[in-house]
Amino acid sequence: MDVMRIKYGEPFRIPRRLGDLFRDVVRIDGVEYVRGKGFIVRDYYAMVNLNKILMRMGLTLAPTVNCVMCGASIECDKCEYTDVCRKEVTLCICGNCAYSPNSFERYRDVAKSIYLNRRL
Amino acid sequence: MNWTEKYRARSIVEIVGNEEAKEKLYRYIHSWKEHDKSGVLIYGPAGVGKTASVYAIANDMGYHVIELNASDFRSAEQVYKKLEGVVGGYTLDSFLGGRRMRPLLFFDEVDGMDPREDTGGLKALIDIASRRYTPVVAAANFIDPVKHKELIQSFEVIEFKSLTPRQILVILNRIVLREGLDIDRDVLVKIAERSRGDARLAINLLYSVHMGSDIEAISNPLENLPIDILLRRLSAQSDISEIRRLLESNPQHWKDVLYVYFDSIVRSPVMRDDRRERLMKYVSLLDLMLGSIESRGAYFYMKYIPHILSWIVYQANRWGAIYDGRIPEYRFYMFISNRKVREEMEEVFNDLQGNLHESIRKFFVYSLPTFVSLNRNKYPSLHRWVERVFGGVT
Repeated sequence: MDVMRIKYGEPFRIPRRLGDLFRDVVRIDGVEYVRGKGFIVRDYYAMVNLNKILMRMGLTLAPTVNCVMCGASIECDKCEYTDVCRKEVTLCICGNCAYSPNSFERYRDVAKSIYLNRRL
Repeated sequence: MNWTEKYRARSIVEIVGNEEAKEKLYRYIHSWKEHDKSGVLIYGPAGVGKTASVYAIANDMGYHVIELNASDFRSAEQVYKKLEGVVGGYTLDSFLGGRRMRPLLFFDEVDGMDPREDTGGLKALIDIASRRYTPVVAAANFIDPVKHKELIQSFEVIEFKSLTPRQILVILNRIVLREGLDIDRDVLVKIAERSRGDARLAINLLYSVHMGSDIEAISNPLENLPIDILLRRLSAQSDISEIRRLLESNPQHWKDVLYVYFDSIVRSPVMRDDRRERLMKYVSLLDLMLGSIESRGAYFYMKYIPHILSWIVYQANRWGAIYDGRIPEYRFYMFISNRKVREEMEEVFNDLQGNLHESIRKFFVYSLPTFVSLNRNKYPSLHRWVERVFGGVT
């Protein structure tokens, strides 16, 4: 089984041999096709539904989101909150950053640098 | 002082989560004059930072927020009267505050407005925004594409989403540090799990724990899930024991789950016909069982239902049934859009539900309407809502 890591909201292409599935894939709620760029998956649940179709053809998509604080990749499936989280986000916080004692101050510093860079 | 008030963000950098939505809102308010939309509509579930973001950005940019609730602008006349002297000028409050601040109009709970029922309130909001005297922000929990068509067309629409438990944990960490609380990390993790993406609820839970409440007394995060969340979780689950656990925790939704899966199985683009046929046999068997329970009170079937239903869900997921987000029927309590009603509802729920020792469903359907009817003076907004939804309880 081939595994393809993708990020929510970022376009990706499925292999040409899976072209027959195009119609079924674009019908999934939360999946869009942008001409010239490829497919965009909006959330975790759209990804699950997409995998139900693609797995039949030997391909699995693995979702990742980025940590807004340190930039690390986070795999929702491996998160300790996977059962209770609504997984609607495209940016989250990794375990190391979330559990550090001064996490809020660090978050605020990161946010400050983001907004200062873009003029706040 | 209430912790939700005490730790209200003073700046955009203090609001955790919804980074993209915050940035869009920030950009809109920053350059609203050049924007082609006349206002901005933010929507999303309660406790995710919509109102906090508006106030924090206004504070960062030197705006003075003038907030109006849906109940203040039922008619166009009310809106214009309320905002007389604001649009086109500066507010008296701003002068009295010592700083000449620009006003920002914030219309909260606009989903409580219905252009078919109100006399021009929503139109007045759109009209005021179109004059471009000052930035206009509207907020809602849900938006109805039909009811609010005009608003959506003329406003920039930004969605705020539920926070993840880890984002909630960061918010809780701040309070724990500032207040010098001695609370176990495990308890914080449980609060983060049980708050269901609502930061306000998480802070209130933390306060309850601080005041001596037992975290275990707070309901299991898998129980009483809204139907749309339950269906999404079920459709993403590949472990049959987890599916059964979810179903056993939410018996109030069994019938809805069955109907939704019937629909998904029939419409699946990838399921083989023999598998579809096999699943439909069990769907019809289960439908008969549920019908017998309702019509004849055949409750002995109850013990079989989670087993058969979890098998159907498990196999349907494996064989390619795709849940597309539709729900079979609205659940009343999911769609309370007015903040006052919601707050009164939470108050009744917290005070009463634990003491009655009855199921959530029974509480909502029977006890709550009766209790609210008897105490209509104490809960006027909730009483009006119950009257409308249940057609009056005497």
